[in-house]
Amino acid sequence: MSTTNLEVLRAEVRAWLAANVSKDWRTAMTGSSQESFVALQRDWFAKMVAAGYATPHWPEGWPGGGRSLAEQKIIFEEVARADAPRLILYFVALYHAACTLFECGTDAQREKYLPGLLKGEIWCQGFSEPNAGSDLASLKTRAERKGDHYVINGQKTWSTMAQYADRCLLLARTDKSGPPQAGLTYLLLDMKAEGVSVRPISQITGDDEFAEIFFDDVKVPVEDLVGEEGGGWAVAQATLASERGLTLVELTQRMRYSLPMIAQTIKDSGRSGDAALRRDLGQVVAKVDAACALADQYLEKRISGTEQVGDASIVKLYFARTLREFTSLGLRASGLQGQYHAGFMRGATQETGNWTVDFMNSYNWSIAGGSDEIQRNIISERLLGMPREPKTWKLAEDKS
Amino acid sequence: MSVEFSELKESARQVVAGAELPLDEKATWAQIVELGWLLVGIPEDMGGLGMGVQGTCVIHTELGRGLSAAPYLPVMLAIGALCEAEFGDRDTWLERILGGELVTASLAASHVELQTNASGDEVLNGLLSAVQSADDASHVLVWTAKSDALALVALDQAGVELVSRPTWDVTRRLFDIHLSGVALANQTILAKGSAAQNIVNSLLSQRDFALGADAVGGAAALLATTVEHLQTRRQFGRPLALFQALKHRCADIKAISAGAEAMLFDALARIADDSASAEAEHRGKAAKYLATSTFARVGEEALQLHGGIGMAEEHPCHLYLKRALLSDNLGRDAASYDYDIAASLLD
Repeated sequence: MSTTNLEVLRAEVRAWLAANVSKDWRTAMTGSSQESFVALQRDWFAKMVAAGYATPHWPEGWPGGGRSLAEQKIIFEEVARADAPRLILYFVALYHAACTLFECGTDAQREKYLPGLLKGEIWCQGFSEPNAGSDLASLKTRAERKGDHYVINGQKTWSTMAQYADRCLLLARTDKSGPPQAGLTYLLLDMKAEGVSVRPISQITGDDEFAEIFFDDVKVPVEDLVGEEGGGWAVAQATLASERGLTLVELTQRMRYSLPMIAQTIKDSGRSGDAALRRDLGQVVAKVDAACALADQYLEKRISGTEQVGDASIVKLYFARTLREFTSLGLRASGLQGQYHAGFMRGATQETGNWTVDFMNSYNWSIAGGSDEIQRNIISERLLGMPREPKTWKLAEDKS
Repeated sequence: MSVEFSELKESARQVVAGAELPLDEKATWAQIVELGWLLVGIPEDMGGLGMGVQGTCVIHTELGRGLSAAPYLPVMLAIGALCEAEFGDRDTWLERILGGELVTASLAASHVELQTNASGDEVLNGLLSAVQSADDASHVLVWTAKSDALALVALDQAGVELVSRPTWDVTRRLFDIHLSGVALANQTILAKGSAAQNIVNSLLSQRDFALGADAVGGAAALLATTVEHLQTRRQFGRPLALFQALKHRCADIKAISAGAEAMLFDALARIADDSASAEAEHRGKAAKYLATSTFARVGEEALQLHGGIGMAEEHPCHLYLKRALLSDNLGRDAASYDYDIAASLLD
């Protein structure tokens, strides 16, 4: 698509967002119930789907699909610019579920699941377990083949919005004998099936956007296997790579648009002449610009096919560190006022102006999706060529 | 980065790679002249390559890698001033400089004033500091603190005094130039008043980007040197590069260096060579601040990661650290970069 056409698309998206983003969604979502949050997400998702802006990354032939990366980037940039709500409730559905089905699913699976997804079915991810976080391959939830079903037993955790989910992307163990990655199988699980129970996790912010999922002899039909039995690790990698960089374009841009919010906090505190705060703000401004430039550069690399393994880790690490500094500065600028409890805003990113909550939420980005420490491993090993740690170490009493 | 810039970068890297550190001042200067790097930023209609500030910054980055001692940066400022000024003798002067005559400039804030003396003549008084390789130069590009005059001042005249100022950074040779009662009318005047103001704004931003680009190159080279040291040095029966505590520090350095580089070249692409604009000033300050402070941080980390050998003069580690610390203190009133960047949001 030519530059002119891209700019036409940008103007279209911008005009549509101007007409459709509710002006007061931030107010409505502050101190609101989770039910009203879910209602707003459903409504916004339906609008974005109808406009074709929720699914630009889907292949041609699907509603809204067939957009180039350059076009997708424009849509993400404009969504950030318009300060539209993030489609948090649908992120797993739109990216992880859909992309997994496009890359690794069958026609029958796509026909079965994608129309429902577009109508608003919510998906969650069942990967992490209490004892399998960064070391995902060590997960223990069992899937046993019994006739035309798998029978699932075990527990998942840190599953975003699982309490509202209709379906789950499940990574479970079908074989304990070989290396940990080899015995994993990828299944699509109905969250309404018998034996599934969900318990929301109360977080340090007071929110409960994550949940634990328990499986007690849950039956999954064999036709809901994605890829091969035992081939789940590769499918999961495809899932996790599905949004490669686009989210970070949106998040870094949102951070840039939120800079005036910190400035306002500093002004409100009566300390805009405080040299230390000014310097800290100047430093954060420069780093936010750098985070945006890195996200941009990464997507350009993807578009031109020059991406290297590890490039995405740099963007994520830089974003997570900068977001911490950003929210930490807001926290310091808000002083004692920031310590008084106040209702938090749902469906925004980490920049809501409730700085204590924003600061706590910034840890989502340094822990989830590959922690900062995992990113540092990847950067040092894949980009700097430093050696991997030997895997021979074991505690004498370690029975695992 | 477009193909033409990538090619420029590759060819510059070839020149730097393998040479002994720091790159020798005289030999590198001769190469710069011979390879046509002085032409990079000159517009095509003036006989240059028309690659703008972005192009010269590509070269600065590669020279930064090699800790180059050659005064490419101040000369590019002089060339920039000549190209932007409405000035009759431009071609003659460009020819002289392209032929290797050195016209240098200050890498710090100007403390020169345009004053009227007792006879009613306009004279230049004051101090220019951090003027690179001034003893080899015929002229210095002078702008006043108020940016109301811009001129080429010959160094071999009465009222101009050079004082060598050795710095901890041995890769650049800096001088103070004291001007006392230097009659403006006898100098090569490039611009006065608001015309001078515009050009100086542009030059200050170009200088910010150039200092930043040099730092980006230095940081990348130092990281590579540090990783190589960790790969080679063995303690406790294994290479240091195997220790996660050290790997993670290298990863952090890589991330902040990549951030500074991406931001600098993104900013250059966005200002599209309109370096006199307010946007260029803001982006240039942010890019300079981030790049030189990042280089300094990489220098500090590298010294620690090198252990004892980093404290030895024969190892180049300290050369990078000292160059970084100097660069972090060059430019506009260097203490106020981060303070100034916040102005657009707070004032």
